[in-house]
Formats: sequence, C-alpha cells, structure tokens
Amino acid sequence: MKRQSLSYFVALPALLLALSAQAHDPKEHMKEAQAPDCAAMKDMDHSKMDMKDPVMQAMMKKCMKAMHKDEEGSHEAHGDKGHTDHGNHDEKSDEKKPAKHQHKK
Amino acid sequence: MTSFKFLSCFKCLAVAAGVAAVTGVGFLYSGLYPMGADDHHNDLTYWALETLRERSIARASNDIEVPTDLNSSERLLAGGADYNDMCTGCHLKPGKTESDFTLGLYPAPPNLTLTGDRHGHEHAGDTDNDDEAIKRQFWIIKHGIKASGMPAWGLGHDDQRIWNMVAFLQRLPELSPQQYQILTARGADDAGHH
Repeated sequence: MKRQSLSYFVALPALLLALSAQAHDPKEHMKEAQAPDCAAMKDMDHSKMDMKDPVMQAMMKKCMKAMHKDEEGSHEAHGDKGHTDHGNHDEKSDEKKPAKHQHKK
Repeated sequence: MTSFKFLSCFKCLAVAAGVAAVTGVGFLYSGLYPMGADDHHNDLTYWALETLRERSIARASNDIEVPTDLNSSERLLAGGADYNDMCTGCHLKPGKTESDFTLGLYPAPPNLTLTGDRHGHEHAGDTDNDDEAIKRQFWIIKHGIKASGMPAWGLGHDDQRIWNMVAFLQRLPELSPQQYQILTARGADDAGHH
C-alpha cells in the first residue's frame, strides 16, 4: 500500500511534466505553420528600410530562406519532370540529343 | 496606575484585533465577495492587489541579468514565432485590438502591441528604465502571475527561449501587420529556432 501511494507521488508529477513539455514543443505548432508572406516586402517603402535594423535583417533572413526553399522546390519539380521525360525516351535518342533541362549552378 | 492603563490598552487592542480577525474570517466564509471576472474589484482592493503584485515582481526580478544580444535578428525570429503561437490570444498582434480573452479576463491582459505607456496599465512596465521593464517581462513570462490568467511558461521553456520572446516584445509595438506576419511565420520546416 505504501509502495503504491509512493508510486503515485512519483508518477503523477512525472506525467504532468511530460504533458506540459509536449504541449509546448515547437513541432506541435507546425500543424498551423504559415509561410512568410514575403511578397508584402515588395510593397514596403524601401527608402525607409534600414538594413542595419535587426527587424529588417530578420525579415531578410526569413524571406531569403523561403525564396531559397521555393527555388529548390521548383528545381526538384523540374528535375523530377526531366527524369520522367527522359524515362520515356529510348536510349538512342538520349545519346543524340543533349538534355533540354540543364541546371545552372 | 500607569501599568494598569497600559494593560487595559493592551487588552483593548487584543480585543479589537480578535474582533477584526473573526470578522475577516467570517467575511471569507460568508461568500459575499463577488468573484466573477465581470464584476470588478473596488478601487481599494485593486490598488492593494496591484501594489502587492508590482512590489513582489520588482523585488523578485531585481537580480536578473539581461543578455547583451537581446536586439539580434535571430532572437527576433525565434521569439516572434513563439509569441505568435502562445501569446496573441491575450496580448494581441498588430492590426488586432481585442479578443475574447482581452474582453473577458480581469484584470485585462495588456495589449503588448502598444508601448508600455499606451497599453493602459500603470505599473513598472511604464518605467523609463528599460532594463527594469525587460527584467520584469522576463520574470512574468517565466513565473506567471497568480490568479490573473498568466501562466508560468518557465515550466516548459528554457531561459533562452523566454529571452527570445522578451527580445521580440521590445520591437513588437513598432511592427506593421506585414512585418509581423513575416517575422512570426514558422514556415513548413521551421521547428522554432531552438
């Protein structure tokens, strides 16, 4: 009996602690994750933008990351499509014609 | 004769204190005090509770050391995303002036998109001493405030994560809705910069 109540004392706080930690895991919030609306930056008054301002730097970082990801996504989609197209060609035609989709590095 | 007077005065005080204590306890048990959040405290009770809160926070936050890199872009990005997820319901975001929580909670949570002297609370957050206000914000986020609706985020968040939110709060009042959206959006694979 004593051992059982002792286990309750240990288990209950441990459970509460685990639940609270889980509730605030940043990954939990990702279900509602929004993409940054970087197009809005184009409408902002660039003359008033101070590139040394941490707010501006943070926005640039965020949007550079988002743009880079978009580019990668389009490259991958492009690449996949290219592969599919190539798959439809026979080997001889591949040898004769250079690939149309060449990625610039 | 003098000692007799002193004794009778002491007895009077003891009786008065006893009566006050019994009356106070009787009042607590009577259930007469209105506890609804829509029925506000009288001025005296509000002043007493606010003074108790502010003096306690000022004392407890006095020794906190403020990081020197609070105004960094990395902290703004990390703190912004957390603020958006955890605080906007009560403390709002640019372009929003009220929510169910701001209407219903009492005391009403401060609108943190406004500067300290504009969000309608008279407390240490209005102080000209930025350092004091920053320590206060850190302490409140970490420890919460009893019976106010403000939770203690320190139980599930480390100090650095709380400092990131404090860093974001310093710039929040000057952000436009567009700037706010960009800074706080987590994006598809952003796990919160932690």
